[in-house]
Amino acid sequence: MPASRDSVGALVEERRKAALEAYEAEPVPTWRRSGFWTTTLRGLDLDALEPKRYDEGLPELDLGDEEHAALIVQCGANVVHTDVVDERITVMPLEQAVEEHEELVREYFAKRLPHDEGKFAAGTAAFWTGGVFIHVPKNVQIEKPIQVVWLIDEPGTAQWAHTLAIVGEHSEVKIREFFRAPDFEGQALHSGAFELYALPGAQVDLAHYQDWGRGEVYDLSTRRVEIRRDARVKWVPIHLGGRLTKQTLDIITAEDGSDMKHTGMYFTERDEHLDLFTTDKHEAGHTTGDTVWKGVLTGESRASYEGLIHILPKAPEVDTYLQTHQMLLSPRARGDAIPSLIVEVDNVKASHGGTVGELDEEQIFYMMSRGLPRAEAVRVLVEGYFEEVVQRLEDPGLEELVRRRIAEKLKGAEDQVREFIGERAEAV
Amino acid sequence: MTLEIQNLHVRTEDREILHGVDLTVKRGETHALMGPNGSGKSTLANTLMGNPTYEVTEGRVLLDGEDLTEADPDERARAGLFLAFQYPATIPGVSVANFLRMAVNAGREEPIKVKEFGVLLRKNVDLLKITGDFTKRYLNEGFSGGEKKRAEILQLAMLQPAFAVLDETDSGLDIDALRVVSDGVNAMRGDERGFLIITHYTRILGYVRPDFVHIMLDGRIVREGGAELADELEEKGYEFVREEVAGSAG
Ligand SMILES: Nc1ncnc2c1ncn2[C@@H]1O[C@H](COP(=O)(O)OP(=O)(O)OP(=O)(O)O)[C@@H](O)[C@H]1O
Ligand SMILES: [Mg+2]
Repeated sequence: MPASRDSVGALVEERRKAALEAYEAEPVPTWRRSGFWTTTLRGLDLDALEPKRYDEGLPELDLGDEEHAALIVQCGANVVHTDVVDERITVMPLEQAVEEHEELVREYFAKRLPHDEGKFAAGTAAFWTGGVFIHVPKNVQIEKPIQVVWLIDEPGTAQWAHTLAIVGEHSEVKIREFFRAPDFEGQALHSGAFELYALPGAQVDLAHYQDWGRGEVYDLSTRRVEIRRDARVKWVPIHLGGRLTKQTLDIITAEDGSDMKHTGMYFTERDEHLDLFTTDKHEAGHTTGDTVWKGVLTGESRASYEGLIHILPKAPEVDTYLQTHQMLLSPRARGDAIPSLIVEVDNVKASHGGTVGELDEEQIFYMMSRGLPRAEAVRVLVEGYFEEVVQRLEDPGLEELVRRRIAEKLKGAEDQVREFIGERAEAV
Repeated sequence: MTLEIQNLHVRTEDREILHGVDLTVKRGETHALMGPNGSGKSTLANTLMGNPTYEVTEGRVLLDGEDLTEADPDERARAGLFLAFQYPATIPGVSVANFLRMAVNAGREEPIKVKEFGVLLRKNVDLLKITGDFTKRYLNEGFSGGEKKRAEILQLAMLQPAFAVLDETDSGLDIDALRVVSDGVNAMRGDERGFLIITHYTRILGYVRPDFVHIMLDGRIVREGGAELADELEEKGYEFVREEVAGSAG
């Protein structure tokens, strides 16, 4: 199709141009909040990073599940592998969809992602390459998961990412996005945009699994989920690693009767820095929400979780709650878990709560009294603490992957935990 | 083959709670420890198990001659000591069955085979007349008082320790449950095992007849005798012991 003035390709290009201007106009941001919290990119040498292209091929991956309805892998700046097993669905590079699925792209691309929401959102809008496009037509049930993988294979990489997913009316599907990198030395950037539209009556089981490894990977991303009339989205974001993560995760019940279930977790270690801001936004009435976030901090890591429930004026009869918990396993880790609430209408049920705590000595003693060594007691307690979130995945393969990674991380943190408990025992 | 408590002085941050406790339980014996609220019974039980909240300032605890005074709780468990807690902790996210498997494995070189564990669990679940999805529930989460006690006794039955301390396991049990738990304890009694049963009531002692009864008052054991002492106590209350002690001191 020739690129006429208002072809979708041209619209995407226009957005890139406007975004580039915004990107260049904005300084590298620092995020501050009252209290001790600051997220700064001072340590990131942005100029030293560049998009890197790779040959086609399927890298070795452990994604928990062996089988998939579709698998698409982007390494660095381009998609290196696409395998669509279930022919009812469309999964392809977003670049290709701009050519081949004009109408869908015109209607949904960047609908909830303004290009000028800060420097890195602008950067992503300007520079994204490859990208992922998922379309599930209406009235289909897809059993096996659609797997999307974002790989950063070497230091020096800038990965500008965009995923657009549209799930048709009354369809059911599982979508998983993975963010992986080998343990390398040096810096890399993943600046990502994710948007999902669950059309009326759709049921989406969505998970994000981030494990950037021990390299200095900076992840600055915005993810938005829009849920239409009577549709339901269960979203489980899992953060298991990254040098610095600054993300905005929004889930929006946009029309009557929609329902969100939002359950996240994070485990930070070493000098990792995690800064999450999530919003459960109720734009329409008669919608329900259920959010639980749990985190564990070890090493000298920093983790801040802020979770907002926002109920708009036109959204009566909302029933929603948000809970956030954080557990410190090291004396040098620092964290925040802040729930908040903005309600602009009467007649809603909304509650929120948050806790920040340490391991409970009575629980450890109880388990040790049954013969479990201290390290194992700690491991079992932390795994038990996360279990509520892990089980919400309802995906045995992925659950196993998460449990295994948590166990590995705890093994690495054993000394700190012992030291921490020793220190407190002395303080008593 | 004994559990020996010698001149045990125990304190918390702010004060001394046990002021020199001596008590010996031989294998094959069942002892009852009675005493009013706050006299130090649970403190003794927790100290025996190595609860870090309590500091031993004098005296020692020996198990079959081995000094356990400084041992970690898990070492004590592996040496054969068990405590059924008065107020057991809740372990969210860990099912009863899973926890039992870990506890059983903690005392073994090779992990127990899945099938063997299943058989053992079923046997004890039946013995204690436990029904429903009890073993699939998270340990003690949302358990009623009686269910918590049953979970403690189920652990006791699974672990078969050499010495078991039961801290008010009978409190909060209905009559049928008390019967079942008592039968369970009786089934475990034998030459190779000793029990120390902490209780306020003679009811359980009617089912599980003790060989010796000790009375604790203000952190000391002040009277000792046979099973008949429990009956005397039931009849006269602690006041008579208190007066007796005061009389002999003055
Ligand atoms: N961790 C602690 N910190 C401070 N004081 C404690 C602690 N544990 C026990 N005590 C105190 O020590 C005393 C003995 O308590 P303990 O729990 O051993 O009594 P008990 O004989 O088991 O009583 P009950 O029959 O009510 O169970 C009480 O005065 C109690 O308040
Ligand atoms: Mg007590």
